[in-house]
Amino acid sequence: MNRAGEGTSSIRTATRRTPSTRARGARALVAGVAALAALAALTGCTSAAAAPGRPTVVIGAKQFTEQWIIGELYKQALTDAGYDVELKSNIGSTNIIDGALTSGQIDLYPEYTGVILQVLAEAKSVPTNAADTFNEAKKFQETRGLTLLKPTPFQNRNAVAVKPAFAKEHGLKTISDLKKAGHVVFGEYPDNLEGALGYHDMVKSYGLNDTELKTLNIGLQYTALDHGQVDAADVFTTDPQLAKGGYKILEDTKGYYGFQNVAPVVHRDVLKEQGPGFAKVLNRVDALLTDQAVREMNRAVDTVRLAPSEVADRFLRANHVT
Amino acid sequence: MSGGPVIPDFGNPSSCVANDGTFCADWFTAHWSNLFWPALAQHIELTLIAVVIGFAISLAAAVLAHFKGRLAAPVSAVSSFLYTVPPLALFQLLVPVTGFSVLTVEVALVAYSLYLMFTTILTGLREVPEESVRAARGMGLTRRQILFKVELPLALPAVVSGLRVATVMTIGTVAIAAYVIDEGLGSLILKALQSPFNTQFLGAGVLAVALALTADALLVIGGRLLAPWAHTRRAA
Repeated sequence: MNRAGEGTSSIRTATRRTPSTRARGARALVAGVAALAALAALTGCTSAAAAPGRPTVVIGAKQFTEQWIIGELYKQALTDAGYDVELKSNIGSTNIIDGALTSGQIDLYPEYTGVILQVLAEAKSVPTNAADTFNEAKKFQETRGLTLLKPTPFQNRNAVAVKPAFAKEHGLKTISDLKKAGHVVFGEYPDNLEGALGYHDMVKSYGLNDTELKTLNIGLQYTALDHGQVDAADVFTTDPQLAKGGYKILEDTKGYYGFQNVAPVVHRDVLKEQGPGFAKVLNRVDALLTDQAVREMNRAVDTVRLAPSEVADRFLRANHVT
Repeated sequence: MSGGPVIPDFGNPSSCVANDGTFCADWFTAHWSNLFWPALAQHIELTLIAVVIGFAISLAAAVLAHFKGRLAAPVSAVSSFLYTVPPLALFQLLVPVTGFSVLTVEVALVAYSLYLMFTTILTGLREVPEESVRAARGMGLTRRQILFKVELPLALPAVVSGLRVATVMTIGTVAIAAYVIDEGLGSLILKALQSPFNTQFLGAGVLAVALALTADALLVIGGRLLAPWAHTRRAA
């Protein structure tokens, strides 16, 4: 606050200048800024008008690489097929994005079949194969006015990873072997503490009594393992950082982490509104998503550092979808 | 579809990118047009909308409170309460009502800017010397004329200082808006945290700081052009 020249001197100078010119200047400034703002507001609201009879479809995606890519794949394939779509990427945790879907803020999003049962349906136990997991997840979503389209060939499962040296030192092969390692610091992402896939439930069902929790954002577990800040961590099996090697996956002998294929969760009304071609486009994209394809696209974004939109575009072109 | 999908060759990163160097200038420039510039433009737009609307509301409220002293306390109380709510909490409260939308973000940003601008503008109006107002009244000016020709011009330095603080704060808060909408420099920062990458993190962070400094400097210059008398250098 530089208010030098306050008091008497400011009155003197103020009376030397005609006040009206200053007021005009101030008004011009305000008008100018207001015009700018109006312009900004106009450019900000350029959501294209939907084709007649077919409202815009809003696709959601969660907050990690694989979801950004799948979101882009859906968006580009549907846009190319003549549908009017919008993508809202980076939407919080499973419960948040599910809330966004049920409240109609988004119309569809890609979800993992096991997660639907474990986190949303809060199932006590999960099926022992991928097909049953998908069918039960679909049944659950249909009780809520939603449905699942066909699942992807690929799965992205949670797993517990440790450094090979740590595994050798304590002779670890399975998750329950962690009991042999004494005090274990376990890295878990903040979204996965509670619930059927969560840290607390996992240590309970494997009887790991001497673990210490360290919450880490998705994607930071590997550096934490490398630097010895955690001894074990919850990781995703399609993560390119995992594929780079240098980590050992401990066997999930109880099938605790279930089956995790991806399927679009969509409002049934939206499918009706958009017509039969809509699901066909998504099914065609999902059929292409094999383990290898997804891992390579994740690598392109996470390691080569290409934009998810660019990676999706190249993949769809290579497969003649767009 | 025999033999699975065709997987394009996505190539390999430069060694700097592969090793996650502190700042890979080659990557930054390669992604300026499709990543950094759009995010910067969105950031400016979100800031501008919030500051302009917040300023209009604050100015009107401050003038009203200046005329009717009784209004000052309640407006101040409400705006200071809004100012104390943590941004993430406010976003959380608004999302069920207005969704993951620009509207949610703008409502929160405007709510934050009110307190700073309302108090500085009102203080500026109240600090206008009594004798200049009396002189104006003696010259036969109406209440409205006094406001526009005497009080607001003399309060200009205070108004500008309020705008400066609010603008810089808004630029910072827009970065947090990335939790609600996938826009602005905050979105790049958030994604660089979720998929660790220094160049994107640093690049977006430095751009946000540079934007705040630039906006502040522009407002200082604008303020001097509008109210040169307030900045006349005097011999010490």
